[in-house]
Amino acid sequence: MKLALGPLLYYWPREATLSFYAAIADSPVDIVYLGETVCSRRHELRLPDWLEIAQVLRDAGKEVVLSSQVLVESESDLKTLRRIVQQSTDGFRVEANDMGAVRLLSHQTPRPAWVAGPTLNVFNPQTLGMLQDLGARRWVAAPEMSCAQISALRAALDTPLEVEVFAHGRLPLAYSARCFTARHFNLQKDSCGFRCLEFADGIPLNTREGEPFLTLNGIQTQSAQVHSLLGLLPEVQAAGVDILRISPQGQHTDTLLHLFRRVLDGALHPTEALASATPLLPAAPCNGFWRGDAGLTQHPALV
Amino acid sequence: MPLPAFTLPPLFARIGPHLPQLPPTLALVGGLNLALDRILPRDHLDALTGKKLMLRVLDAGMSLRFTLGERGFRPLLDTGRPDLCISATTRDYLALALREEDPDTLFFNRRLVMEGDTDLGLLVKNTLDAVDWSALRLPLPGLAPR
Amino acid sequence: MPAAPELVCPAGSLPALKTAIDHGADCVYLGFKDATNARNFSGLNFDEKSLHEGVAYAHRHGRKVLLALNTYPQTDNWPSWTRAVDRAAEAGMDAIILADPGLMAYARRTHPTLRLHLSVQGSATTHEAINFYHEHFGISRAVLPRVLSLAQVAQVIAQTPVEIEVFGFGGLCVMVEGRCALSAYATGESPNCQGACSPGKHVRWEQTPKGMETRLNGVLIDRFEAHERAGYPTLCKGRFEVNGASYYAIEEPTSLNTLELLPELARVGVKAIKIEGRQRSPAYVAQVTQVWRAALDQLARNPEGFRVDARWMSELNKVSEGQSHTLGAYHRPWK
Repeated sequence: MKLALGPLLYYWPREATLSFYAAIADSPVDIVYLGETVCSRRHELRLPDWLEIAQVLRDAGKEVVLSSQVLVESESDLKTLRRIVQQSTDGFRVEANDMGAVRLLSHQTPRPAWVAGPTLNVFNPQTLGMLQDLGARRWVAAPEMSCAQISALRAALDTPLEVEVFAHGRLPLAYSARCFTARHFNLQKDSCGFRCLEFADGIPLNTREGEPFLTLNGIQTQSAQVHSLLGLLPEVQAAGVDILRISPQGQHTDTLLHLFRRVLDGALHPTEALASATPLLPAAPCNGFWRGDAGLTQHPALV
Repeated sequence: MPLPAFTLPPLFARIGPHLPQLPPTLALVGGLNLALDRILPRDHLDALTGKKLMLRVLDAGMSLRFTLGERGFRPLLDTGRPDLCISATTRDYLALALREEDPDTLFFNRRLVMEGDTDLGLLVKNTLDAVDWSALRLPLPGLAPR
Repeated sequence: MPAAPELVCPAGSLPALKTAIDHGADCVYLGFKDATNARNFSGLNFDEKSLHEGVAYAHRHGRKVLLALNTYPQTDNWPSWTRAVDRAAEAGMDAIILADPGLMAYARRTHPTLRLHLSVQGSATTHEAINFYHEHFGISRAVLPRVLSLAQVAQVIAQTPVEIEVFGFGGLCVMVEGRCALSAYATGESPNCQGACSPGKHVRWEQTPKGMETRLNGVLIDRFEAHERAGYPTLCKGRFEVNGASYYAIEEPTSLNTLELLPELARVGVKAIKIEGRQRSPAYVAQVTQVWRAALDQLARNPEGFRVDARWMSELNKVSEGQSHTLGAYHRPWK
């Protein structure tokens, strides 16, 4: 099983981002997804910067994929999307995160192989088969999908393809035209002051009873709890998953990647790995979606 | 003409709870049973079977407890916590029945309160919304003029 | 000036359908009593009998009926969705509203003359995305998610052969439709697949000494004091604590109302205005349809002199969730 580093969902200062990816070059990760997928106003790194990081990581032996923005609204968003898609024939694979990206990729000649991202709403083999016909060679399941749903879909495909699951990180749950970080500071989105830069793991949102519940990350809403399949890895392997996606967090991402690697290598028991990981997380772990439950539920690690 | 805004005088709410609740409950279940299977399809209401239901008429001080059994609706003497409790005033119940008011609007205004099993509440609300009153104008079976 | 847009009204039941037609809807949209549509609530929607009666009633009055099949079928329940497509075709639907590409392919192949609309649940926000569905399935119309500004809506329309329908009034999804798993995160039931946001069986309203509390699978969404207006038990309209402040962190209980934008929407070429609310009663459908019919008729008679009648706004505000209405994403400061 391969390890992938998902796209950075937060907005970190330029230097922090660059040094994060410099360290990733030496980490035990096989695939790295790059690019801004959440908010088009974020500009600490622009596409040429991402391409530079991509080159460095590729030279370090990583497979690099460029992720497209999830919510594409303006003509300028589309322009960026077209430049990303252009890369699919010029060197890097692209992860399509909306149907506009799928259309543009399928119109490229020669037609590139691409990745069907987690926000395409693929829930059945008929839809995925069609995307395969258009060039999809890897599918990232929506984080809300259960083990049973993923295995059933995979088993029903005419042609196999690589299956990737969201294995670790705060769950990206929703996207909006509205920015909730700007709203929190009583700012308008157009003049938001880029306050996201201050929150390496987003802004925690609690219920009025003080229970951690969600995380505000600009236009994206995430879970407060950190979804982690680390304690259930044998089950994930048995389901035929090919790739595990680890979503970058403010600190300790590299340590988490090592813990995943050691469990996959059989050098560490999943229960122990989860115990070591838990203090490194920005909040308590959860894994309910994998078992078809409420996402915020935590099932105990396999013993 | 739309129903005017009114509440019963406070005397009703004070006296109501001390009066026997059985007669009004009998009237309610009698009415419901007349509707059952004619305009209220029994199969749509199956989820209510055996559930403790309570209708509170706030300005009349009445709490009508009933349930749906094998042979239709019947009063319930059980004073335990109901599975579903709906509260409103006489006027608002009438307005709902006449389809002059939208239940969600009353709910947003806190004039219609639903407590307990929300799914049962939705079932009741949506089933009543789906009642096609025009069907009542059809002749009763056996009473057809020709 | 293009023709005034069609008025597309919700029907959760046969009486609501008849009411919509009687009050001037050009089209009504509805769903079956199961998970194939995104308003899968107890007691709501149509069975075979009410469906046939509804279609006959609408067609007798020269109006159209659209069927929402806008959830995502999964591997092991796929046949329920294809059967629903077949039932829609047999019932003489004027169009079906779909989100899933696989299901669109089935509908196109099996019922080549059945008109297809792309549901808002398909999350298509650009002409590139909409044209994808047009190229592959020949969709006739797309419903836009409630995220675009008026200028962006105009740009989409200018670059697609597909008719564009937008939401004009009703409950407001703050999140991009089809891309929201908040309710699934709290309850385990997916709006995308099971068709209900905040399903009733997970909702509890309870009077407590602190006020009326509403919980979704145990998670406290909001607590209302006696005088406060209540909202639907959806997570995005709840009050939460962020950095010590307790407020509507995502959105207040409020409704979308674009009545004042109607001339602009018509001018940029919007083909249809959708009224949200299949979960609402016939009384709501009557009130809202009546107002929008009057507004559209005034627009058709006198596009230059269109004025929003204050009575229209007060009628609509009466049935709105929350204290207020909003222009949503059409209004930049909202974002």
